[in-house]
Amino acid sequence: MTNTREITLTVNGTEHTIDVEPRQLLVHAIREELDMTGTHIGCDTGNCGACTVLKDGEPIKSCLMFATQADGSELMTVEGMEDLPEARGDLHPLQEGFREEHGLQCGYCTPGMLMSGKALLDENPDPSEEEIREAISGNLCRCTGYQNIVRSIEYAAEELEEVAAADGGTTVASGTDTSSADAPSAFDSEFDCGVENCCGGPTTDRNHDADTGGEHK
Amino acid sequence: MSSDSERFAEAEDGGPQPEKHCGHGRGGMGEDVKRKEDQRFITGRGNYVDDIKKPDMLHCEIVRSPHAHARIENIDKSRALDVDGVVAVLTADDLREYDLATMPTLMADTQDVLVNDKVKFQSQEVAAVIATDRYTAKDGAQKVVVDYDVLEPVVDAEASLEDDAPLIRDDIEDKEDNHCLDWETGDEEATAEAFEEADVTVTEDMLYQRLHPAPIETCGAVGDYDPGKDKLTVHMTSQAPHIHRTLFAQVSGIPEHKIRIVSPDVGGGFGNKVPIYPGYVVAAAASYVLEQPVKWVEERSENIQSTGFARDYDMTGELAATDDGEILAVRTDVLADHGAYNAVAQPSKFPAGFFNIFTGSYDIDTAYGSLTAAYTNTAPGGVAYRCSFRVTEAVYLIERMVKVLADELGMDPAEIRRKNFIQPEQFPYESSTGWNYDSGDYEGALDKALEMADYDHYREEQQRRIDEDADKLLGIGISSFTEVVGAGPGKTCDIAGVEMFDSAEIRVHPTGNATVRVGVQTQGQGHETTFAQIVAEELGMDVEDITVEHGDTDTDPYGLGTYGSRSTPVAGAAAAVASRKVREKAKAIAANELEAAEEDITWDRESGEFHVAGAPDRSVTITEIAAGAYMNHPSSEEPGLEAVNYYDPPEMTYPFGSYIVIVEVDRETGEVEFEKFVAVDDCGNRINPMIIEGQIHGGLAQGIGTAMLEHVTFDDNGNVTGGDFMNYLLPTSMEIPNFETGHTVTPSPHHPIGAKGVGESPTVGSPPAIVNAVVDAMSHAGITHVEMPMTPDTVWAKLDEAGLATDPADSISLEFEDQSSDTTADD
Repeated sequence: MTNTREITLTVNGTEHTIDVEPRQLLVHAIREELDMTGTHIGCDTGNCGACTVLKDGEPIKSCLMFATQADGSELMTVEGMEDLPEARGDLHPLQEGFREEHGLQCGYCTPGMLMSGKALLDENPDPSEEEIREAISGNLCRCTGYQNIVRSIEYAAEELEEVAAADGGTTVASGTDTSSADAPSAFDSEFDCGVENCCGGPTTDRNHDADTGGEHK
Repeated sequence: MSSDSERFAEAEDGGPQPEKHCGHGRGGMGEDVKRKEDQRFITGRGNYVDDIKKPDMLHCEIVRSPHAHARIENIDKSRALDVDGVVAVLTADDLREYDLATMPTLMADTQDVLVNDKVKFQSQEVAAVIATDRYTAKDGAQKVVVDYDVLEPVVDAEASLEDDAPLIRDDIEDKEDNHCLDWETGDEEATAEAFEEADVTVTEDMLYQRLHPAPIETCGAVGDYDPGKDKLTVHMTSQAPHIHRTLFAQVSGIPEHKIRIVSPDVGGGFGNKVPIYPGYVVAAAASYVLEQPVKWVEERSENIQSTGFARDYDMTGELAATDDGEILAVRTDVLADHGAYNAVAQPSKFPAGFFNIFTGSYDIDTAYGSLTAAYTNTAPGGVAYRCSFRVTEAVYLIERMVKVLADELGMDPAEIRRKNFIQPEQFPYESSTGWNYDSGDYEGALDKALEMADYDHYREEQQRRIDEDADKLLGIGISSFTEVVGAGPGKTCDIAGVEMFDSAEIRVHPTGNATVRVGVQTQGQGHETTFAQIVAEELGMDVEDITVEHGDTDTDPYGLGTYGSRSTPVAGAAAAVASRKVREKAKAIAANELEAAEEDITWDRESGEFHVAGAPDRSVTITEIAAGAYMNHPSSEEPGLEAVNYYDPPEMTYPFGSYIVIVEVDRETGEVEFEKFVAVDDCGNRINPMIIEGQIHGGLAQGIGTAMLEHVTFDDNGNVTGGDFMNYLLPTSMEIPNFETGHTVTPSPHHPIGAKGVGESPTVGSPPAIVNAVVDAMSHAGITHVEMPMTPDTVWAKLDEAGLATDPADSISLEFEDQSSDTTADD
């Protein structure tokens, strides 16, 4: 490595300072520098969504962003789900939903699906089937036919509602340190995934769509 | 069948079980047991090939040809070797030193590992760069300078067989054309006579287009040679690790006991991970030579452009029938594209796979099929993409043709099927092309599907829309398919000479739980759960007390792997038979524990306990027996409680079903919307209904991809124009509707637990149902066929041909009036 740059990534609440080449993709930094292999790679072109992680609360495709572009940001990967308050020391309701509703088969797309599902439920705790389908439309699954993934996210929405009710009736909008209220959100004008004509952002996010020309691929 | 009953003589209830079990609360047959494998996948703890990290691991990047047909004049490695971190650059010359420049395909053709002389398809492997990390390996690959003498390519099978076509396989001695093979089946003369005498004949040309299985995880390997133990371990995305070990041994000359293949978690296979690819060989060879671990993982474009494609059968179908719809004969002629090498992945005695099951679910006396296969400048393949060796093409042919015939005769497509079905009392049924169907009740499945689909209502609605000249036409498509799965038997089915049996080994431990190892390998099918359920059922254990292992040739019994829906029919049978062997020994131990004669001990399936006949209170559980086997074993028996079974199936199994698809076709845009999608499957006795339903959903989604979106395309220069996920379109959650599933149960009479395979039925059965539905929307106007993928422009062209298309120009001009000028069209 000839030319490296020091960056700081806070992943699942833990701060990591690493040296990366400017050209290193975020997904490779997560998988190979930080050894968190739950985030997968399936297509290299931003189509499959296996590499979806949350960056400052927004789902992004980590194969479409250089690690340096994520410098200073808060990331969340599948490995952090069990530590979220709504997991209550066990599985997160989304993880539970995927198991209960048979929302996975080979498991390869699952971490990305969980991240897209989490982003959706953070924004919209009670989504319709159509909204769920739209939210995961950037995540390809070759095994399940999506029907049970939709059920899994519906299961999680119901569970989260119960968790919220048990916690005193407040809606669990996010409750995580990776998507806290003061973190910059995608449409606060600063967000740029760094790839021309692609934001890698969520398809559910209308404002974000508008900011990037309405085109989502 | 007699050998069969002998085989299971040790079990008191040896024959297939009717669907009476409900798991007995222990997670046995028929229970929706939540999957054991899920925990690691939902928490990010899966272990796929690319997740493997070894000390001092090197990375391999393959240099691929940008040309489809070109002679290599020179390869200059020097600039690549100058890159800091590049350890080696390998070409065919280097591999030749180790006799690894070529490798056999599964059909005994000879494929270059790295191009020896001439490139035969775009993205073929030319050189390999080994470096300290993946980025440096890519840097090196960019600096390998290859001089190509570009030749004229041919990427179309028909053109490749013309006299003036460029010769692709000049590496085969005396080869003068691109002809690959001929094959035929059935009785040509009798079929010709039947066609001459028939009241009515129909014919239709149809292309089953080139697809790619495209699992979300690409192919990859980590070669890891240990010079201390002189042992080569290859972690690889393999659906068939044992046969891959044998092939590695045969090709490399390394003794087989010095090779270990590990297939860790695999992110989908669908037939893509059955063949051996050059990347696996290079990673293993580089590790062996450099004595360091070497990782190779494909990018998506490499996966689609160079690894096994599927289908590419250009078919003509013909049916001969009586005026009242009795089918007398079927005839087909196929032009198959095998790519640059004959690398179809199927049993070696079946050059066209099981395509000759094209008589389908129907009692057709006379049949004839012929096939010619050609070499083209495209990636080698013809893998069984989620299907049992070309049964998909066969089902598409017959189910499409039945619809064509129904339209010709003006008959209801459900009725014509009913008229021609093989009847339940005809089983076991020998087809006119030589298949022995084990069991079926085709009308039962169709009736159930018709009822679920509310068929009569939609037929009325369809007519109403025609009468009222509605904007959206309704189409109703039916497919009543029969699959043939579970290869062997070994005497007729082999892979590279190895008979297609499979295996299971059960070890019951002293504390009463068990480890089960199987010769098949899961890529998402849920083996760790379903095989545990089989053993739980057969031994009266709790499913929680059973761990299933697979995918490691050092520890698992030899098996042929998972493809062609063979895991349940073959290894599932092995698990049941091995369980029954354990149960027999358990009886001797129970007799010792209960101080009774062995012949007085019976096993109760319901309670899972062994007891003295007539005295159910005098009983022991499998846990107590396990303790006895290790701590108080009877002198008549060896200590321990284990069994292994290598199961050679007497026949294949024949799952079947009826799918009904109802679509709306937009006359203005050609868009197709799914109104209803009903799937009734019969896979015999069901092990885990939740997993079965999941498999059906996934296969139907792949069927929709096939029918509506997917196609590996080429331009005239041999460039792959459908070679990544931007151009090879997998269906997303927005294209896939909700499915309504149902089932009937017709157990396989020869399978120990009466089960058949199921994972591939939906991929096989759904494409003709979908095409039939779209055709059905236009058949009143004379349309008989629409080619796949049925993209809106393809469908609109057919609407236009039939005079059904409404003019989009009208509404476009209206939109312009309504919208402000700066709006751009978007979906």
